[in-house]
Amino acid sequence: MADRRRINGPAGATIPPIFDDGVDKKTASQKPTRSRPANAVRHTFLKTGVTPSASGSAYLEVEVPGKPGVSGLKLSCTVHGPRSLPRSSPFAPHIILTTHVKFAPFATKQRRGYLRDPTERDLGSHLETALRGAIIADRWPKSGVDIIVSIIEGDQDRETSKEQGDESWDMMNALSGCITVASAALADAGIDCVDTVAGGVAALVREEANNGVAKIVIDPVPSEHVKIEAACCVAYLPTRDEITNLWFKGDMPDDNMNTYMELVQQGIQASKFANRVLVQSISETVG
Amino acid sequence: MSKMAPTVTIPGQLLGPTSKYKPGPGTHIHLSSLYSSLLGVVHITHPAKAPGPAKRLNKITPAPAPAELPTISVSRSGISEKREILPEVGNVILCRVVRISPRQAVVAILICGDTVLDAEWQGVIRAQDVRATEKDKVKIYESFRPGDIVRAEVISLGDQANYYLSTAKNELGVIMATSEAGSTMYPVSWKEYRDPDTGLSEARKVAKPF
Repeated sequence: MADRRRINGPAGATIPPIFDDGVDKKTASQKPTRSRPANAVRHTFLKTGVTPSASGSAYLEVEVPGKPGVSGLKLSCTVHGPRSLPRSSPFAPHIILTTHVKFAPFATKQRRGYLRDPTERDLGSHLETALRGAIIADRWPKSGVDIIVSIIEGDQDRETSKEQGDESWDMMNALSGCITVASAALADAGIDCVDTVAGGVAALVREEANNGVAKIVIDPVPSEHVKIEAACCVAYLPTRDEITNLWFKGDMPDDNMNTYMELVQQGIQASKFANRVLVQSISETVG
Repeated sequence: MSKMAPTVTIPGQLLGPTSKYKPGPGTHIHLSSLYSSLLGVVHITHPAKAPGPAKRLNKITPAPAPAELPTISVSRSGISEKREILPEVGNVILCRVVRISPRQAVVAILICGDTVLDAEWQGVIRAQDVRATEKDKVKIYESFRPGDIVRAEVISLGDQANYYLSTAKNELGVIMATSEAGSTMYPVSWKEYRDPDTGLSEARKVAKPF
C-alpha cells in the first residue's frame, strides 16, 4: 500500500473480540448452516433520501440469518448531479456516468486502505455497466453524474477466521447490493431510467448433508456452505426482461449447459426479490 | 388542464399505448407503449379545446382536425410543468456576466425558465449574437460588463464547456447593471444605462422592459 499521507490502521485482519453472551458454546461454535429454503433471500432494508446534501441517496441493509440484530451488508449510496462536466472533458451528447465503490477500512476482515484497490475498481466498472443499461443517457447532454457507493459492512462473518472463505464470493453479494442501492438512489435523484435495475446472486453449492451433490441456491452466504462451486450476479430489468450485467465465476462440475441457464435463471429470481424491496421502498417516498 | 387522480409511478411502469397519449417529460416510448422513466406522480394534460362549431350551421366548414392526444407526464414535485434542470435550445435564461473579451462575453447561467439551476453552467454570448442589426459594429464592452445580469436565449448546446446564448431580440439584454461608481443604474434607452447618483451614462445592450 503506497498510501503514506494518512495514518493507516494495521494491515492485517481485525477481528473484534467476541464476548460470551451466554449462548451455548456448543451451538455457537458450530458452523452456521443455511436455514432458509434454497429459493429464499435474506431480509433487506432499503431507504432513500438519507443524505440531504446529495441529489439522491439510498441506504441498504441485509440481515444475517440466525443472528438477530446483526446485519451482514450495509451500503450507502449517494448520487451527485446531473452537473456540468469539467472544462477539460470533450463534448458529450449524453450523460457521463462515473461510479465509485469504496469499502470502509473496517468493512471486511482484511482491513482496506483509503485508496481504491483493484477489487473496488472492478466492482465500480461492473456497477457502471449495470446502470448504463438502465439510464436514458441522452436526456442530459453535456452533464455528468457521480454515483458513490460506500460499503460500510461487507457481508463477511466476523466469527470465522480470515483464512476461511473466499473473498471473491463476498464480492458478488456486495455487487448485487451495490446495484440495488444505486438504482434506488438514481430514482431518488430523478434521473431518467427505462426501468428499476436490481441485482441478484445465485450460486451452485456443495453440501455435506446432501451427499456432496451440488445444488443451486439464491442469495448465498459463503460461510453457510461447505463449498461454493460457481456463482453468478445478475443485474436485471424486470419490466423490460433484460439483463444489463452478468458476472459469472467459478467452476461448473459438468458441461451441462442447463446448469448455466438455471444459475442465471435463479440469479434473475433473486434480482426480482430485490426489485420488490426496491419498488416498495421508492414508492413510499412519493405520496 | 384537467387532472386525474395522481398515481405514483416508478421507472419502467407502463402508462398506456402511444395511440392514446402523447409522451411528456419523464416518460419514454418502448415498443409503441409509453413507460414512466421517473419516480413521481402522473399528470395528464388535455389539449386546449378547439373553439366549438360556428353558430351559423348552414355555413359549410371543413371537417375538424383529428383531436390532439392528451399529454402524459411524470414529475416528482407534483407539478405538471417541465422540470428545467439543463438549459435547452430555445430557453430564456438569466445569467451573470463573468468576464468579457473583444469577441465574446462569458456568463454563468443562473436561472433557466422559472427554475433556479442547481449547478452553474457556463455560457458564451459571441459578438455576432448580441443584437440583430449592425452586427459588424457590435463592441462587447459597449454591450456587457462583468457583473451585469442578462436575459438571453439559448441558441445552441455549444462546445464542451459553453452554451451559446443570444440577446438578438428587443426583450433580451442587460436587465440589471451597476455603474463604475458602484450604484445600480436605470435604463434610459435601448443602448444606455444611467447612474442615478453621478448622472453618467454607460453603454449596454439593454433589455426592453415588459
